[in-house]
Amino acid sequence: MIDKIFFNFTRFSALLILIIVAWIFTVLFNHSLEAMNTFGLDFITKDEWAPNLDKFGTQAAILGSIISTFLAMLLAVPVAIGVAIFLSEIAHPKIKGLFGVSVELLAAIPSVIYGMWGLFFFVPIIRDIFGGLGIGLLAAGIILAIMILPFMAAVTRDAMNTTPDILKESAYALGGTQWDVIKDIIIPYAKAGIIGSLILALGRAIGETMAVTFVMGNVHHVPKSILDPTTSIPVTLANEFTEADSSLYFSSLFGLALTLLIMSFVVIAIAKFYFLRKARRA
Amino acid sequence: MASIIDIKEECALHVRDFEFTYKGAESPSLKKITMPIAKHSITALIGPSGCGKTTLLRSFNRMHDLYPGNSYAGEIEFEGRNILGPKEDLIHLRTKIGMIFQKPTAFPMSIFDNVAYGLRLQGIKNKTELKDRVEKALQDAAIWKEVGDRLKNDANGLSGGQQQRLCIARAIAVEPEVLLFDEPTSALDPISTQGIERLVIELKERVSIIIVTHNMQQAARVSDYTGFMYLGELIELGETEKLFVTPKEKLTQEYITGKFG
Amino acid sequence: MTAVQKRVVINKIALALSTISALIALGFLFWILGVLVMKGVSALNWNIFIFEGAPPGYDESGLKHALVGQAILIGMATAIGVPVGILAGTYLSEYGKNSKLAHTIRDISDIMMSAPSIVIGAFVYAVVVMPMGHFSAWAGAIALGIIMIPIILRTTDDMLQLVPGELREAAFALGAPKYKVILSVVYRGAKAGILTGVLLGIARVGGETAPLLFTSFNDNFFTTNLNEAMPSLTVTMFNYATSPYEDWQQLGWAAAFILSMFILGLNILGRVILFAGKKRK
Repeated sequence: MIDKIFFNFTRFSALLILIIVAWIFTVLFNHSLEAMNTFGLDFITKDEWAPNLDKFGTQAAILGSIISTFLAMLLAVPVAIGVAIFLSEIAHPKIKGLFGVSVELLAAIPSVIYGMWGLFFFVPIIRDIFGGLGIGLLAAGIILAIMILPFMAAVTRDAMNTTPDILKESAYALGGTQWDVIKDIIIPYAKAGIIGSLILALGRAIGETMAVTFVMGNVHHVPKSILDPTTSIPVTLANEFTEADSSLYFSSLFGLALTLLIMSFVVIAIAKFYFLRKARRA
Repeated sequence: MASIIDIKEECALHVRDFEFTYKGAESPSLKKITMPIAKHSITALIGPSGCGKTTLLRSFNRMHDLYPGNSYAGEIEFEGRNILGPKEDLIHLRTKIGMIFQKPTAFPMSIFDNVAYGLRLQGIKNKTELKDRVEKALQDAAIWKEVGDRLKNDANGLSGGQQQRLCIARAIAVEPEVLLFDEPTSALDPISTQGIERLVIELKERVSIIIVTHNMQQAARVSDYTGFMYLGELIELGETEKLFVTPKEKLTQEYITGKFG
Repeated sequence: MTAVQKRVVINKIALALSTISALIALGFLFWILGVLVMKGVSALNWNIFIFEGAPPGYDESGLKHALVGQAILIGMATAIGVPVGILAGTYLSEYGKNSKLAHTIRDISDIMMSAPSIVIGAFVYAVVVMPMGHFSAWAGAIALGIIMIPIILRTTDDMLQLVPGELREAAFALGAPKYKVILSVVYRGAKAGILTGVLLGIARVGGETAPLLFTSFNDNFFTTNLNEAMPSLTVTMFNYATSPYEDWQQLGWAAAFILSMFILGLNILGRVILFAGKKRK
């Protein structure tokens, strides 16, 4: 009797996850219907965002999300791979442990703090070097890169560490140098895991709000250069959700939220179910 | 107290008062080991788990240097020099002293690339030369017949026994002087084991071989000399036939008759 | 230069580059940490804990409202996320095991763990804030709770699976019903791991800002009314930092410092517990 109740409790809790996810999709979809019906494809292909005229085109936000994430990956991936190599192959065991833990702790620092740092300390530097306002895609990309770096390095290192010692030793036994072993053995062996980790970091970067909200500018124009202020999906949501005053405005924001959710869902699913699963099987 | 015979042949390696200490350990794991390794013959190292036989084997190509903090003392003479010296070129040393591991270690690449790996590391780029030497190594490792027509396939698709012979081909392709075998058949079925043992015997024409094994019958079947190790010491080194029939040391006697192990 | 010499040189260059990238990463991160500590510590004083928010220019302004609000929000989120997460993890490890349903739940939950938290905020806005007609602590706590569930679920599932099967069998052999085996044997065996998961889960949602922006919203004054907008450290930090007032920005840094210490503390505590638990075994 109690057994049965306990079982049902646990099963309901587990099913609740599926229910919540389905509910999130349904709610976001229903609320964005108005915008989709009103604008059709214009919703994603136009960048005119004029709440006072009830015109909502999200192209700038979508492009802003994609470009800032792309910039962040471009900057973070090589450094993260370097850090991962350093942590798994080069560093002295003691440094490995210490550095490894601090990288993981840094990954836990709230992203809003990265954003604050970016606004007060990094944007002025960009302004000094490149001129302009300092805020925009470049600042967002760099701060996003710094923010995802610890996570990316930690998971990439974990993927590299799955290479069996005996395989590495075999390559050393043939007269390989450390770099030979890294590029010929570790990276090919852990390839799926490394790619999966990088894509997973990408999935997180797309949805990251607070690190970029400070420095993006929230201007709904497709920028001419990466130095111009623009916006991204999370930035638009963070800035405008509490200001929306018409149902079409709200509906457009929900449409953006749904777009963001689908984008990150797809990216994360590819990372987890294609690459990381393949890595685990190997 | 140890009983070490003098060997008739020339020495490939000569170990003298060798000691090895793992990082952070208080006492050495290998104590005052002195032993000659005969050229073009097979020397087996036997003894119970933890006796130090693998530790000794991994000292010959300085595998322990991959992990910081380990230390050597004494001397291992190879080609007229002490390879424990600080100036020893480990990359060169390891191309002269190859190694085969407990488990097959096919690299994540094609069969051809696996065997060509060591050759390419030495800077051989000429396609015909690579092709010839890969083919010869595969033939010498008695696996050419099985894989000759699918060299482009992923090496991880081969069976365990095939992979182990592939690893042997990879090791002999660079023409080493010495080959170290670390329990090479412990992950294999009896038929594959037989194939590897036959191969090891054939190879001694060209290289000097040291084989660590937990299997006394294997040592008896393949080796010319056998060393028995216990608690980090070399208790006895003798001709294999004599050691297994009339051991000089009581400990050896007890081990080969199964009183402990 | 021979091929081998060339390899040795390339090796040195590659290793140097990789070390340099580690130093670059470390440099940036220390820069951020340094700023956080310098700005945060210099902004710390007792007033922060005594006074609530005030208009810019007032001496008697603090973060009491945000500290208490943060504690209330995290407490409520924990009360929502932890039981659901643990029960769901229990289902996966003890009942669902390798069934298709269990795997589907694991997969979906794993994706949710990395899903954008601002989207959860939008969802809660639609299902809680809109029907209620106003922002509330409830809405914020529900959003954080939803974010917490997958984290707790995952660690519970993992930790329960580490409990050896013999332990369960031994308890079953004594005639205990399954729920008792789970409650008294399995949970006890996985105690340290689950506790660590809970702490890490709290640390994770404690740093969330985005899902609170339009659920619990913010308030510059002290409140314990759960039906009203509730201040939090993170949203306060955001508002203060983006304000043009120097003294508000100062308070923002103080909030950032306090929050980071709290989160780092939880992370370290979680690791220590897990490590101590492992050592005992």
